[in-house]
Amino acid sequence: MNKYGKPLIKLIKSSLIPLAIACSGLTHAQQNSKVLQPCYVDGLEDRLMCGSISQPLSKDNSEESIEIHFAVIPAIKETNPTEAVLAFAGGPGQSAIEVAPIFARNLRYARENRDIILVDQRGTGKSNLLQCDTDNLEQQFALDDQAVPLFKLAKEETQACIKKLNTDLSNFTTVAAASDFEAVRIALGYETLHLYGASYGTRIAQEYMRQYPNSVATAVLDGVVPMQQSLVAIGDAIDDSLAALFKRCAEEHVCNGQYPNLEDKYQTLINTVKTSPIKVSVRHPRTFELIDLVITESKLRGSIRMALYGHTTRALVPLVIDAAHKGNYNPLVGLLGNENTFGAIAMGMHSAITCGEDWPNMTDQDRAKYKKSYFGRLMIEALDASCPLWQVKPVEQYFYQPLKTAIPTLLLSGGLDPATPPSWAELAMVNMGNAKHLVAPTATHGVAAQTCANKLIGEFINLRTFESLDSECLEKDNTKQYFMNINGPVASQSNEELQ
Amino acid sequence: MMNLIKVLYKKEMIDASRDKRSVMAGLYYAIGAPIVMCLLFTVLLKQLSSPEALEITIENADYAPNLVRYLEGKDISHGESGSVKAITLMISEQYPQNMSQGKSATVTIIADKSDNKLIKSVRRLERALARYNSEVAGLRLISRGIDPNIMRAVNVQTHDQATPDSKGGMFLGIATLSIIIALFYSAMNLAIDTSAGERERNSLALLLSHPLSSTQIVLAKVAAIASYSMMGLVLVLVVSKFAYGMVPWEQLGFSINIDVMFILFCTLLGLPIALMSASLLVFVSFMAKSFKEAQSYVAFVLFVPIGLSMMTTYDIGTDYVQWIPIAAQQYAMIEVIKGNELPLLQVLLSSISTLGLFAIFAALSSRMLKSEKVVFGL
Repeated sequence: MNKYGKPLIKLIKSSLIPLAIACSGLTHAQQNSKVLQPCYVDGLEDRLMCGSISQPLSKDNSEESIEIHFAVIPAIKETNPTEAVLAFAGGPGQSAIEVAPIFARNLRYARENRDIILVDQRGTGKSNLLQCDTDNLEQQFALDDQAVPLFKLAKEETQACIKKLNTDLSNFTTVAAASDFEAVRIALGYETLHLYGASYGTRIAQEYMRQYPNSVATAVLDGVVPMQQSLVAIGDAIDDSLAALFKRCAEEHVCNGQYPNLEDKYQTLINTVKTSPIKVSVRHPRTFELIDLVITESKLRGSIRMALYGHTTRALVPLVIDAAHKGNYNPLVGLLGNENTFGAIAMGMHSAITCGEDWPNMTDQDRAKYKKSYFGRLMIEALDASCPLWQVKPVEQYFYQPLKTAIPTLLLSGGLDPATPPSWAELAMVNMGNAKHLVAPTATHGVAAQTCANKLIGEFINLRTFESLDSECLEKDNTKQYFMNINGPVASQSNEELQ
Repeated sequence: MMNLIKVLYKKEMIDASRDKRSVMAGLYYAIGAPIVMCLLFTVLLKQLSSPEALEITIENADYAPNLVRYLEGKDISHGESGSVKAITLMISEQYPQNMSQGKSATVTIIADKSDNKLIKSVRRLERALARYNSEVAGLRLISRGIDPNIMRAVNVQTHDQATPDSKGGMFLGIATLSIIIALFYSAMNLAIDTSAGERERNSLALLLSHPLSSTQIVLAKVAAIASYSMMGLVLVLVVSKFAYGMVPWEQLGFSINIDVMFILFCTLLGLPIALMSASLLVFVSFMAKSFKEAQSYVAFVLFVPIGLSMMTTYDIGTDYVQWIPIAAQQYAMIEVIKGNELPLLQVLLSSISTLGLFAIFAALSSRMLKSEKVVFGL
């Protein structure tokens, strides 16, 4: 060897090691480029990468196939190219890609160094959407749903939807969908995933963990649906969440002064519309044309229920009830006409889940328990009408077993959640060996969107443990002051005139 | 002919590697520059980005408790500690009255918007207030039975074509500048030593007395210098890969990611520049009468590539500058790191012209070596 060669070779040698390390990321990027195209989602400026894979429609008969669409929100700084965060949307029936702006916010810290994968679950969004036709706003406003039995209404709606979709919903259950997510992971070349599920998304996340435990590094379940719990049990949570609102208003000097006996007023209103719906002529929330509104119990309760999901709309609830009690239905019309921010729910896919998983397993005891609440009764009646028509194959019994896993799992609940209360998370974690449950006392549904939980999620994913998480910030009160008149949260002396 | 150049090249490499200290001194830049840059960038990023928990002064907070709580939810709060930013949010005394009557309730932001350290924080406060504004306005409409979406007469969607890698802007320019400069710096000493130095040690005349053409001598010297340049380049790239990986770019929502493909690409791109830089340095050194003079000239000549590189970095006349050697290569590096298409035409043209410059400087040098005035430094 020549003398001069030695220092050179030394230098070259030492630089080979980092080269080899960096090479490992190369194959991953190449695999990606094959299937991905740049794309955009409303409400998010960032350029995403979209693609789709073909999956068999049913396990038994692989002839027919459906396209499963997905989007990748690229990491800001890709330090973990072999890992990604897989986010599951709620509903059931929400499109994960459509709500990408929400996921991008909730997972903003996790995104700093990992890609986020959003998959439209089969039956939602771009993946073979199963959507039933719905009435437009005028029809919904004018409908007197108390004139016809709910059972008959639900049956008619279901028959129309069956005719439109003409497919076997048994292929669209949670169990069937889990393999699509795994196929996407393999197609994109990620070794391990960190799961983030919100609402119903926690159920599919748990099923994914059950079927593919080796693909999962950590899991965050936000607003937890336990495997052993039927979605029909939601009625109690709605009642509790509304009760908490009434309690807070009664305790707050200003709110109580402005809206005394709010709960009684609400009851009076409900009793009134129960006996005979209120028929009024109102302005269309967008066109301002005069249209008919029939206020029924389901519309009144339904609009208040949807308002309970976020603090922004919760702030209006006392005003809405008080005004309606006085005969001013404008605030109620506003709530009824307020397009929800959750994106459209694919009702066909929704039925596949509820009829295949939530409806068949209810015992008479369960039914009696759920029927104690208004929404429990409503849901059971609707499912009893539609599920026998859909004929979804019930999932196997093992599905209802609480998930047994040692994967580090972080469960998040909001103390005021009108859908998945903290007690549900406790139920979900009975067989989890490595789980922690954090409760944000004043949060509603979806803790990551309202609190510092997005930071905690980022930290948890980085560290793969919850030992060092400082969850104190979850205690921060994030409620908003109630609207004291139609202008804002400040009560005025001349209030009577304004209303 | 080739064999002779090889032998000469070996001689030059041995010569160079003997003085390990000065070789290392040349390479210190390659190791040090990325690290120093990283420290600077880290400090700069911290100054430019708004702190996670932003503390400002809120006057008359009692008039707007709901607004204050909203801001707290966005991590903007009233503070009195040392870390409080020089931003004041003043809530007017009529705020509650106006709010309850549906009039605009005034809040005033008091801050120096020319202060770069504040600008991100001010914008964040403005954004938060704008959101609060539309939240309350939306609720006002709902409580009048109107869908707040009617306020969005035009639904403006922006499709930002930037990737996290392409948002680096000026930082990217400075990073690539430091990479290109490494080609010139790492072999500067060697170039002076092997030309002006050899002449002062009187070994140049000895070399010329052998049956060699002056072209062969120049080519061998240039090859040896270029080898060290390339070593410096690879070193600066590898160190950059790790050093830039440590900078918390994500705070500003972008990243500078130096991967293996980029390192290979830069090495390829750097080869013509290394040859050109070596021949230029040799030419300048021979022009000078003494070692010291050569040092001054070389330092002066180095301004040209730095200047060209700067023009690319600060995007001055890029449309024209991107065709000139060095600037073109740096432009290509920036485009590649951004994930954009490689400007192939520019790269090819500039590489050819860089090699052309190399040929010219090498020819000039070998012509100079035929003159006794040059050989003996007269």
